[in-house]
Amino acid sequence: MAHKPVTIAFDVMGSDHGPAEIVRGAAQLSLESPHIHALLVGDRAVIDDALAQARHSGERISVQHASTFIAMDEKPGEALAKKPDASVSVAARLVAEGEADALVSAGHTGACVLACARHFQLLPGVRRAALAAVYPTRIRRGEKEDPFSLILDVGATVEATADDLVTFAVMGAAYARIISRNEQPKVALLSNGTEPTKGPRHVVEAHARLGGLPGMRFIGNVEGVDIPKGTADVVVTDGYVGNVCLKMLEGVHETVVELAQYAHKESLRWRAGLAMLSGGIQRIKDITDWEQYGGAPVLGFDRIFIKAHGRSQARAIANAGKVAAKAAANELGKTIQQGLAR
Amino acid sequence: MSLPDRIDPPPPRRIYRWDLDKTYLQTEFDSFRDLLRTAFQKAHEKQAVPGASALIRELASAGDSRLCIVSGSPRQLRSVLEEKLKLDGVVWDEFVLKDNVGNLMRGRFRALRGQVGYKLPAILESRALAPVEAEEVLFGDDAEADAFIYSLYADMIAGRVDERVLGQILEQAAVYPDEAQRVLTAWKKIPVSDPVRRIFIHLDRLTPPAHFADYGPRVVPIFNYFQAALVLLADGHLTAPQVIKIAVEMVQTAGHNIITLSNSFQDLLRRGLPLQQAAAALVQALEGPNALLQALRPMPDILSAFTKRLAALGTQPPPPTVRAVDYLGLLHHALPRTHKGRKVAPPT
Repeated sequence: MAHKPVTIAFDVMGSDHGPAEIVRGAAQLSLESPHIHALLVGDRAVIDDALAQARHSGERISVQHASTFIAMDEKPGEALAKKPDASVSVAARLVAEGEADALVSAGHTGACVLACARHFQLLPGVRRAALAAVYPTRIRRGEKEDPFSLILDVGATVEATADDLVTFAVMGAAYARIISRNEQPKVALLSNGTEPTKGPRHVVEAHARLGGLPGMRFIGNVEGVDIPKGTADVVVTDGYVGNVCLKMLEGVHETVVELAQYAHKESLRWRAGLAMLSGGIQRIKDITDWEQYGGAPVLGFDRIFIKAHGRSQARAIANAGKVAAKAAANELGKTIQQGLAR
Repeated sequence: MSLPDRIDPPPPRRIYRWDLDKTYLQTEFDSFRDLLRTAFQKAHEKQAVPGASALIRELASAGDSRLCIVSGSPRQLRSVLEEKLKLDGVVWDEFVLKDNVGNLMRGRFRALRGQVGYKLPAILESRALAPVEAEEVLFGDDAEADAFIYSLYADMIAGRVDERVLGQILEQAAVYPDEAQRVLTAWKKIPVSDPVRRIFIHLDRLTPPAHFADYGPRVVPIFNYFQAALVLLADGHLTAPQVIKIAVEMVQTAGHNIITLSNSFQDLLRRGLPLQQAAAALVQALEGPNALLQALRPMPDILSAFTKRLAALGTQPPPPTVRAVDYLGLLHHALPRTHKGRKVAPPT
């Protein structure tokens, strides 16, 4: 099937692994997806050095020099004001001007979101953008059998209103439809009980409104225990709770790995047991491998922004580029707008 | 060409030497199956690399050049290969193919995969018959040892390679004694001159360009023939309208578009090739009234794409440094790709 050509702007600077890893990811993407063009934004000399060492297609990569970047320890607002030529700002501007169709960055999340807010427009009906995150679940979903669910917001809007929660639900459902090819994603509100009356006032109000929203497969409230089970394909909450949930999920994963390492060292019998379970452990590892998903979207802007994990390596960056390209080719913004208009 | 010219043609001013597989033809021979398919393909089934035939035709259009092809394909494929070249409108002056059956019958198995012992004497013998003032441009690919062989050839005829070093190279590249003798005999017949202007390496395997940095700026790795055309425009071998004709063929036949062409242009700029004047000439040619250019319309998009890619870089990168080639250090490049001593590019 012929794909529509798409250009993805990569903010090359600011990743935990340095610019070379982002360049390698874009280089990998240029070999794997002929319809995707990468626009690498950052220090030209650094990018050129990294590109010269990597297998890539020179026909599908271009470079935009940006003299500086925002470091992880800088305050986003101040840093963006002080550094108008920072790579993330330049990249967001290029996307806003139509030079590229989407932005991928593994840099400072706050600076990225702020740069997008300055250059992109919020969609009509969206008051606040939402940072979504994918997390591994037991069940698979959609045409692609994705072992991930989407949770939003995970930090962009700390105190969400009922209106915001409804908007997040529409945006999350549109994203799941496009990226996971899940035509009727199950959407749920996160609360402290499944009954419609459970939870703070804004959650109760959002529940009432989502229940009557046409085209939405709203399954009601879910509890924390349902998150890893994958009861819902899209879990909607405010940024404060979402962020706490996400960090806890990451903590559980890390603790399980540490416990397995402890068990491996502790006794021969435990080691033998772990060896027997190695197939299952590998499966869990595959499912929880966030690198295969690439990145998480910031939803609500008229342009697409995929936030890659700061620890992303080449494969995750290439996958983030593919996710961004798919969202751009399927006009994610327009789909969200249509959902909001209902 | 006038009647006297046909009877006694003037000596060539330029010689273009081409490899065939993966340089002119999109050939796959990585597996036995690929080899078989290639062997039984008919002329019309063979695909040329986009822009290659247009480039050859444009280079030949001045009528003062020679096209010499030295290919590793077996002699048994001559008729089908010649038919393919004729179908593409390519006229050649020399066409050398490898005697693989002869090598097999004589038990010369190293010669089946080895390129140094085959190509180096063939191009030296061809040069021995060429006028001393004829400039050369060579075209190869990254699948075998073209960058090594062509650079060695250029430096040998320019007197920059020591006979002792050459002896070591031929020995370590496992060249048979009779082939080594042919190399020495042909080399001694060639007057010292420095005619090789460029060596283009088509990155069929997408080998990282830095892999060729040790050969200096004379070797230019290219992702497509639009890039070769741009460099040849800057070097004075082509005019801007000719480069546009090549781009048009690539757009019409191979799905290239304004993004791939402008990215290709910027890729060369980033590698320090001085192409600003070539870009200006292209812009001027694009502004002229030429029906052919309709294929590349809309014009403002083309001009702005090139201008943007140029401006995006900020200051122009410095040109790559000229250096003496350490052939003994690069000997692993001379070995067949499947040889265990050949270093491969790290996976990315």
